Amino acid sequence: MAQKLDMRRVKTALRRKMAQTAEPAKPAMQLGFVHHNVDCIGCRACEIACKDKNGLPPGPRLRRVMAVEGGTYPDVFAYKVNLSCNHCADPACLPTCPTGAIWKRENDGIVDIDSTLCIGCRRCEAACPYGAPQWNAKEGIVQKCNLCVDEIDAGRKPYCVMACMMRVLDIGPIDKILAGKHPTTAIGPHDKPVRQVKNMADPDLTRPSIAFVPHRKGKVE
Amino acid sequence: MKTPIADLLNPERRSFLKTAAAGAALAGGGLLELEDARAHAYAPYLTDNQLTAVVTSCDHNCGSRHMLVAHKKGDVIVRLSTDDGRYQAGGAYGKDTPGEPQLRACLRGRSYRTRIYSPERLLAPMLRVGERGEGKFKRVSWDEALDHIAHKMVWLKRKYGPTAILDQAYAGASFGVLHKSDQIEGLLARFLGMFGCRTSSWSVPSYQGTTFSSRITFGTITDGNEDDAFAHSKLIVMWGWNPAYTFHGGNTCYYMRLAKQRGCTFVVVDPQYTDSAAAYDAWWIPIRPNTDAAMLAGMAHHIFANHLQDQPFIDRFVQGMDAGTMPGWATGQESFKDYILGMSDRTPKTPEWAERICGVAAADIRKLADLYARTKPAALKASWAPGRAAHGEQYSRMAAALQAMTGNIGVLGGCAEGVGKGWHPVSVAHPHDENANLWWASIKSDRWAHCVLNYPDVKREEIGCWPRNDALDGQIPNIRAIFWHGSDWFNQLTNINKGIEAIKKLELVVCSDSTITPSALWADVLLPAATHFERHDVGLPWYKGHYYIHRPKVIAPLGEAKTDFQIYTELAYRLEALDPGLKDFGKRYNPRAGRDYFQSPDAVDEAYLAAWWKKVQDQQGVKMSWEEFKRRGVYKFIFDQPLVAFRAQIEKGEKFETPSGKIEIFSTTLARVADWTRTQYGAPIPAIPKWIEPFEWIGHGKAGKYPFHLVTPHPRWRTHSMFHNLPWLRETYQQEVTINAADARRLKIETGDIVEVWNGRGRIVVPAYVTERCMPGVAVVHEGAWMDLDKRGTDRAGNPDFLTKDEPSPAGAFAYNTVLVNLKKTALEHHPGWDVRATSRSIIFRRDA
Repeated sequence: MAQKLDMRRVKTALRRKMAQTAEPAKPAMQLGFVHHNVDCIGCRACEIACKDKNGLPPGPRLRRVMAVEGGTYPDVFAYKVNLSCNHCADPACLPTCPTGAIWKRENDGIVDIDSTLCIGCRRCEAACPYGAPQWNAKEGIVQKCNLCVDEIDAGRKPYCVMACMMRVLDIGPIDKILAGKHPTTAIGPHDKPVRQVKNMADPDLTRPSIAFVPHRKGKVE
Repeated sequence: MKTPIADLLNPERRSFLKTAAAGAALAGGGLLELEDARAHAYAPYLTDNQLTAVVTSCDHNCGSRHMLVAHKKGDVIVRLSTDDGRYQAGGAYGKDTPGEPQLRACLRGRSYRTRIYSPERLLAPMLRVGERGEGKFKRVSWDEALDHIAHKMVWLKRKYGPTAILDQAYAGASFGVLHKSDQIEGLLARFLGMFGCRTSSWSVPSYQGTTFSSRITFGTITDGNEDDAFAHSKLIVMWGWNPAYTFHGGNTCYYMRLAKQRGCTFVVVDPQYTDSAAAYDAWWIPIRPNTDAAMLAGMAHHIFANHLQDQPFIDRFVQGMDAGTMPGWATGQESFKDYILGMSDRTPKTPEWAERICGVAAADIRKLADLYARTKPAALKASWAPGRAAHGEQYSRMAAALQAMTGNIGVLGGCAEGVGKGWHPVSVAHPHDENANLWWASIKSDRWAHCVLNYPDVKREEIGCWPRNDALDGQIPNIRAIFWHGSDWFNQLTNINKGIEAIKKLELVVCSDSTITPSALWADVLLPAATHFERHDVGLPWYKGHYYIHRPKVIAPLGEAKTDFQIYTELAYRLEALDPGLKDFGKRYNPRAGRDYFQSPDAVDEAYLAAWWKKVQDQQGVKMSWEEFKRRGVYKFIFDQPLVAFRAQIEKGEKFETPSGKIEIFSTTLARVADWTRTQYGAPIPAIPKWIEPFEWIGHGKAGKYPFHLVTPHPRWRTHSMFHNLPWLRETYQQEVTINAADARRLKIETGDIVEVWNGRGRIVVPAYVTERCMPGVAVVHEGAWMDLDKRGTDRAGNPDFLTKDEPSPAGAFAYNTVLVNLKKTALEHHPGWDVRATSRSIIFRRDA
């Protein structure tokens, strides 16, 4: 947790938050993730790469590969849903932050969080329908995926994407991905990406920047 | 500070944003108006561009080998990344083609930083002060530790002779070209051999049954295609194979994804609906453990009965498939087809016969046999796991028979694996000569405890004594000491309780490792070994893939750690001073080094490696200089077509390396054995593959008392026992027993309930994972958990090797998957070994929709 808040910086941050709460940043191009729910082998190299990149202790998992299974023996199915932060068009976390630590980047729509301003109140954690903000008990702060902004700004892709052994996780302009107009190895030649899979919050709530290639049992009608 | 390697290789460092693959609108920076927006989320924070990048690789005994890039500040590794296409010759950020794919590390490799800096890291030499196994040690100097060992070794050899020290090295410390901790021919083997006192352990825990089968059938274990060949199959039958857990071969799963996109059909034969089955949307055929050979025989029957076999292929390349291909000297003996059709035992191995044994419906056996025989090319990938069983070699040989009768050998998209070793690297930079594998006795690896406990009343066939041509042939070794080098075998071999009884009888146990393993707690002397980040070496593909990865000394050794090569060299010098028979031992053991090697190894290691690279250049036509290789960090070979095993035999008519020069389904070697007790096998092995009933399985009488068949597969989140102590990985799983939902309902067990699993050999306590994805009557506990005994000898951590039996198959296959157990909800305590409550564990979501 921030030991001593610089009130001057908090003030500036809060001004930004008020502005972005009234009207969320509308980036010319919104970056987002795409993940293939079936072809993912669930290895979690992305998760560990993320832990390492962000120097995380046990506890917070900024990226989470969730294993979904169902059916009755021997007619069973299983697939993976891989989520971190969806860098929503209307982030639910942002307005909840009392110190303005969360903001949305104007250029690419990444929702970033400034740990030097975080007081560990965990309101964002409660607000997010996707479990993106993660509690770091050791530091007393909330952390979340910032799409490796330093890598993005250096012209590279985030650690999780570059870790994917199956090449089923990628980033790109989310509109183009959903329209099938962004070339990516995450989507196979016969696959069609969707905005939502089963058991996932209604995307109209926060308009998440995420696309999935769903399992046949994971499709939302 | 910029990234020097990146700048060097990619001076303009084109951002991926400017390349064709990505949009142009991502350009970063500049748009954030508030000054504090510069603050990063996780302060203090160093970006990759502020760190020094050093290419290296992972280095454990898993199934693949991938690139790791250490990003460091001073002498500290801040984080690891992996191959991003920049480092190879002609590389660029993002380059990733099927011909030259990126070597992306798995979750285990990515966790290495926490392993180097883990609290379990062994940082100084230690001497035991308490009882053996009590885990009480005192810190001592290197001088004291090495002198203690040297004196004891000389005394042991004098008192008990040349078999007193058991070599239990394993590949846990290194799979490099210079610092090799190998079971048969590693640094320790040569050291003990030259010292003149060594009992060797010849059977390999992971795949001895398969190794035997490949050698008997094809005359070689190089029966593997390279992983890119999988992309060309039209049908892949994954028999007991779960590469989504083992990552067998650097990019195997990725190439199989390409096959899937091209319309390949996948079948998984396994007691579990694995993640591999899920990812490839496979037809899942659940099978009773240890009955694989029976099902394969049923398939063979269907193929013969319907004349679906590739008879021209059989006639030309195979010995003993049928009466027509039997060698002249064996006329009248049973051929494989005779056996399958029941000519001699009057039991045709029909799909119905197989169904009664393996539990797979005869209709499904027929359907799969049909599919396999009619789809060309088709890969029957017969994994090692079903072979880790009593008579496991019979399953591997039966699979080879199926591969041969359908003509899927030596063709792109087919598969002759077996062991599956593909491309062969130039693998040895360390001194390697006639002393590489000297031994005075060599036994089946899992029989050491039996040998120690019963010496001298042991028969050679009980421990699988490897024959010798001298007076020592068949002599029972008098084992009085064990050396572990990169080996956690005490935790990993079968029937640990018997091992605990035996180890108390020994007079010296030495453990050289970088981590304080569960085995280490049973040692007398602990020697801190440097990790591969702390010494100079080159990484090799473990199994598939064709590349070399340079491994510089990324950081200085932590604490007082030394490399294993330094340790054994220094010990050799100390021994030569004690034993006049060991003249120049130090110099002969490590010819390029002097006595100062213990203090400064860098120049010597560099000389060994440079000489090795010269061999690579000469033998493999590599043009890249050693200096450039070191600068880039990786050399990737590019082949004009995927490497396919036995292509030369099939296309050019070259001979197989068997006695007959053919694929031997009827084995010349086995058919000619007169006295099995004098072989390393100790018991008869039929000349053709047959289903032989294991000593325990669901169909056995013992199943009344112990109704569950336990299998102990390789986990994803550990390599055997390595990485078990790392919290990042512990978050992704739980050491648990997997059982079928209907079984669980009957026993009133729910997911998360603490369960005890037991049989006559031991008892473990673990949480349950209840799922429809597991076959009824089967229990699954992944191998490698670090044992944690309570006062009554119950393992609270859940190491399944307290339940396995130290009774190997004749060919030496470990019976890791031949285990009957019972289980029930319990009040006994489970120790996960780390703070589960402090973390957000992985969750499996049950969704019935």
